[in-house]
Amino acid sequence: MNSGLLRKKIKRDRALYLMLLPVLIYYIVWHYIPMWGARIAFQDFKYIGTNEWVGFKHFKMLFSSPVFLRVFLNTITISAMKIGFFFPLPIILAFLFNEIRSSGYRKIIQSVIYLPHFLSWVVIAGIFISLLSSPLGVVNQIITFFGGEPVSFMTSTRHIRWIFVVSETWRSIGWDSILYIAAINGIAPELYDAATVDGANRLQQARHITLPSILPTIITVFILNMGFFMNAGFDQVFNMMNDAVINKVDIIDTYVYRVGLTKGNFSLGTAAGLFKGVIGIFLILGTDRLSRKTSGEGVW
Amino acid sequence: MKRILLSSLILILSVSSIFAGGAQDEAPMQSDDVTTIRIVGKDFSPSDEVNLQHLRNIEAGFEKATGEKIKLELVSVPEGAYGEKLNLMIMAGDIPDLIYFQGGDEVIANQGLLVDLTDYVKNSAVMQDVLMDFNKERLANYPYLLWIAPPRARTAVIREDWFNEAGGKMPVTVDDYYALFSTIKKNHPEAAVVTDTGNTGRMDFTFNQAFGITATWVKENGKYVYSKVSQAEKDKLAFYQKLYAEGILDNEYITTKWDTMEDKLYTGKVAGAFGTAGIVLDIYSDKMNENQGVGLVVLPPADGVGRGYSVSSAKETRGWAISTTSEHSDLVFELLEFLATDEGQFMERYGIEGIHYNMEGDKVVLTDKKGDWWPRFHEVMSWDAPTPLLGPAGMKGWEYILDYAVSDPDFPIPEELSPTWDALGNLYKEYSFKIISGEYSIDKFDDFVAEWYKLGGDKVTEYANSVLN
Repeated sequence: MNSGLLRKKIKRDRALYLMLLPVLIYYIVWHYIPMWGARIAFQDFKYIGTNEWVGFKHFKMLFSSPVFLRVFLNTITISAMKIGFFFPLPIILAFLFNEIRSSGYRKIIQSVIYLPHFLSWVVIAGIFISLLSSPLGVVNQIITFFGGEPVSFMTSTRHIRWIFVVSETWRSIGWDSILYIAAINGIAPELYDAATVDGANRLQQARHITLPSILPTIITVFILNMGFFMNAGFDQVFNMMNDAVINKVDIIDTYVYRVGLTKGNFSLGTAAGLFKGVIGIFLILGTDRLSRKTSGEGVW
Repeated sequence: MKRILLSSLILILSVSSIFAGGAQDEAPMQSDDVTTIRIVGKDFSPSDEVNLQHLRNIEAGFEKATGEKIKLELVSVPEGAYGEKLNLMIMAGDIPDLIYFQGGDEVIANQGLLVDLTDYVKNSAVMQDVLMDFNKERLANYPYLLWIAPPRARTAVIREDWFNEAGGKMPVTVDDYYALFSTIKKNHPEAAVVTDTGNTGRMDFTFNQAFGITATWVKENGKYVYSKVSQAEKDKLAFYQKLYAEGILDNEYITTKWDTMEDKLYTGKVAGAFGTAGIVLDIYSDKMNENQGVGLVVLPPADGVGRGYSVSSAKETRGWAISTTSEHSDLVFELLEFLATDEGQFMERYGIEGIHYNMEGDKVVLTDKKGDWWPRFHEVMSWDAPTPLLGPAGMKGWEYILDYAVSDPDFPIPEELSPTWDALGNLYKEYSFKIISGEYSIDKFDDFVAEWYKLGGDKVTEYANSVLN
């Protein structure tokens, strides 16, 4: 495209570009300019005076910690569990919403399941601790009613990671389904009409029309989620962890918060952030490439 | 195209510079005879009128006492975790004259940003008078934080009616405690006897010394050993395991937070808890009276190998620091000194006249708003309040502190050992809960000790012996 044509197009759509400007400013000011600060990962940060360049000292400190391997594996495991078990659920939910014919009923249900998204993890942790406490929590009351033995879920190393998955699902399933619902709503109704005429039932329509139509959205969301793979959910873990399970749920973020940020060691915190960011970029690029090979769809 | 990009960039930079400029505080005003002192503290917001009134009172009192005019200016800290936000504020170059720290100060002190208070304190008659021995020991180890307040020891309290029902005899030894707790449990099987908040840290104040955990680092076979891997710790965990198994120790203590601990106490789910000696015990007692119609009995530390509340001498974990960038550090210390005098303490402890107290002749009469007030700077334990500030429970707690506080010759862990120390702490947390809850037998303690040394405990122990010997 030559520059004259581009200028013409920009002039024509200037109102749209103007609307885009605040978002552009936001990203530059809050996301791109701060990246310059990431250099303190390679420096000894000084509150006053010039930072001293120390190379990979803080990365070495991070990787040589006796618990680094454990917190790294915990991070990967919790993230993998969340993506593996949680990721398909909003898609399934969006499919189910699509089958609800009464729009009033659908709106009520949608509003109800969006609500948990607006609760903070402090509140959600309180709710789950109360529900799962032993022996007086509701869940244990039900277990004992049916003759079972109460289980101390929150202190059980077998259960705690699953509690993260379940609580994440409870909080985010409704909110995360919005994108898929919007994608489904964008499918041309004629396709369904034609399929109905051809004798396709609801399940066949979902499989052969809805799913292929929203596949690019699913793939894009999945690839972007991979970028956050190393963020296993600081707020959630921080509020739900306790001494009994700390070695099963201590993730890179909680470790860096304890050892780095609360002690003013910003260089260590930045090194950890950079490490996570680099892994995230590789995961995004790798997943994108894999997706292109297998399905022909990618983010870019 | 280039022109468009250039124009956009200029626009973005202009907008961002406007926003950046708008976020900065105004520079402190300074006239010839009034010195402005900028202060930052936790829950000490300039948007609270009471705080501002308190500062105006201090300014007037300071001028009267010293003849010097000061203007105290509070710096607001963004909402959120104080330590984190404070660090970010200092990182951005905004360094007030007087800073309250609650952790995160060591890195800043190591970079020479905090004034060494040794000479100030040494030459101050007021400070020499009001500082307790443990404060002086902490200042000798780490001369950057000044914190004048009673040691934060947690004292055991138990509801009065159940205590009396169980015989009403004050327990002395660990066996006495066990007998008292067992009787209460027998009388009230539906409730636990004591609870704690996420670990046994509060309960340890009552039992540590009795089991022989007389300091953070104890001597075993002529060598300093970390108390949590000592034989005394093993004995204590075996005792806690018994309390847990019998339902005396709340089986949910691990997920209990401070607010749920209080709730359990006020609703009769537990007979007792552990609270900071002083005003906190009065609050517990008042709320117990409101909710259950009974008061609380304050219990002393258990007697055994030793008796007392260990007070670490490593360093102050919180306190006030003067920044080296302050142009008025002498004056700032004078202010801290003034606040520790009788005049300063009057303001600090009673609050604002007309809100928290009224004067009836020479007598201070506390109002029902007194409960909302807390000292912003110092709480001098030896200050003789003309009208008592504490109720019976609070006073009893302080008495125990005065009688039983025992110095613990601890030291700060150096930065390079910090990740190892964190890992060792987590290992203890996991094993101690599993032992207490009965998931592991007490014999597993030996495995824990072996693992602790293997994980880096040997290095820390070596360092400890080099410091303490």
